[in-house]
Amino acid sequence: MTQGQQTESTPLVDPACYAAATAAIRAEAVRLLEAGEVTAVVGYRAGRRAGSAMPEVATTAEAAAQLIFTPGCQNNLALFLSKAKREALPKGKVAVVVKGCDLRALAGLIGESQLKRDEVHVIGVACPGVYGAGADLAKPLAAESLARKCRECKVHLPEGTDVVAGTLPPLPDLAPLEAEELARLEAMTPQERWAFWTEQFARCIRCLACRQVCPFCFCTQCLCDRNRPQAVDTSPRPAGNTAWHIVRAMHLAGRCAGCAECERVCPMDIPLNLLNRKMAQELFELYGFETTMQPQEQGALTSYRDGDDQSFIK
Amino acid sequence: MTATATTTKHDFEPKLVAFVCTWCTYAGADLAGTSRMQYPSNVRVVKFPCTGRIDPVFILRAFQKGADGVLVSGCHPGDCHYMAGNFHARRRFAAFRQLLDFVGVDLKRLQFSWVSAAEGGKWVEVVTELTERVREMGPMREFIDLDASEHWSAELADAELKAAYHSL
Ligand code: SF4
Ligand code: SF4
Ligand code: SF4
Repeated sequence: MTQGQQTESTPLVDPACYAAATAAIRAEAVRLLEAGEVTAVVGYRAGRRAGSAMPEVATTAEAAAQLIFTPGCQNNLALFLSKAKREALPKGKVAVVVKGCDLRALAGLIGESQLKRDEVHVIGVACPGVYGAGADLAKPLAAESLARKCRECKVHLPEGTDVVAGTLPPLPDLAPLEAEELARLEAMTPQERWAFWTEQFARCIRCLACRQVCPFCFCTQCLCDRNRPQAVDTSPRPAGNTAWHIVRAMHLAGRCAGCAECERVCPMDIPLNLLNRKMAQELFELYGFETTMQPQEQGALTSYRDGDDQSFIK
Repeated sequence: MTATATTTKHDFEPKLVAFVCTWCTYAGADLAGTSRMQYPSNVRVVKFPCTGRIDPVFILRAFQKGADGVLVSGCHPGDCHYMAGNFHARRRFAAFRQLLDFVGVDLKRLQFSWVSAAEGGKWVEVVTELTERVREMGPMREFIDLDASEHWSAELADAELKAAYHSL
């Protein structure tokens, strides 16, 4: 698992690669705004806490020159490009900074007709990885502080974007912790899994941060908020929580980009991405479907084939 | 609905909910009834325009409201009144089953079937089999227990938390 002297706490990559990506993003953003090609660039700027970053909608060259790319750039900015959320952005073509995983979300939104490809200028970033939730931002990015999703990332280098900022340094092989955890759960008996998830879901406080942060949770009226008829109990109690989590996983199945933002923002540390990954894995096994960096016309659950498996149907 | 064939008394009579489409399975169940075929009266039938309208959340809701088993049934592939409703449903339910299994729900309590308007006999067979299987398994406790359980609350582990709590 470790390459040479690479351990869980040695810095993962040379910080210069983030600096190079930052410079490339700034140059492109300034150029776009000065040429009037876009009305805004959705990117990251430094957050108040050292090492953190926050989303920024830059509309002037001055603001664009402040954009950054660092391991603190965790947010998936594709979130702001769904139809409803785009209304908060300036009118006209916008540019957006995306990591590989965010690009999968953007492609998904295009596939679901939330926006058209030519309405957005895509600035991809060669991304070595970002901090996980609760990481110590004062220390350089290392395997121990890396987000779990990044340990198994297959999309470090975005494809099909208008530009790619930065270059990818060589990356060490890391143990796929999330895949291991998924396999551990799959090996359990149903009773053990029920006990595991009951405990997890019972902690949920229904803040719905996971829904708020998901690019695909763009419904103007969420089924889980409705009360006539009520499908899912809205109070944060074990029964309603379990229903919420099952419905959320089901509604994201075949759409989820695996950006793991839902899991990162969860204040109760519920491993939501395990559910997402499980569904993605099943849809791949059943229908060979995967979310990709290119928009797809049909999703796994919005299409069918005559010969689909029906061994479970009498 | 017809009465059960035998008068055997069981310790446990499962409650089953059947979500069926109106064009095939409902008509099939109707045929079973008008042909005076006997089958367990444990099943409550809920009719939908199409299996494509049967949202997985209905299945969840049935379990949460005390169903011990759920049956979902509609037209055979190719026979859907709306052309493709059952093809979409087939994928959705295949995915939903995997999700339920991953969360730890015993899939033996959930049955899917294709029953056409002419298959009164198959309807009887499917309902009888599911009823017997679920009767063997006993009541579905998981969701009932969940409903009765209270929200997790953290241990008042440290003195500061304790003081804050008791000052309320
Ligand atoms: S999953 Fe890949 S593209 Fe996404 S943040 Fe991690 S390393 Fe970057
Ligand atoms: S973010 Fe976490 S606590 Fe909040 S609703 Fe989602 S799962 Fe529950
Ligand atoms: S469900 Fe979670 S991981 Fe999937 S797209 Fe939404 S926020 Fe990202």
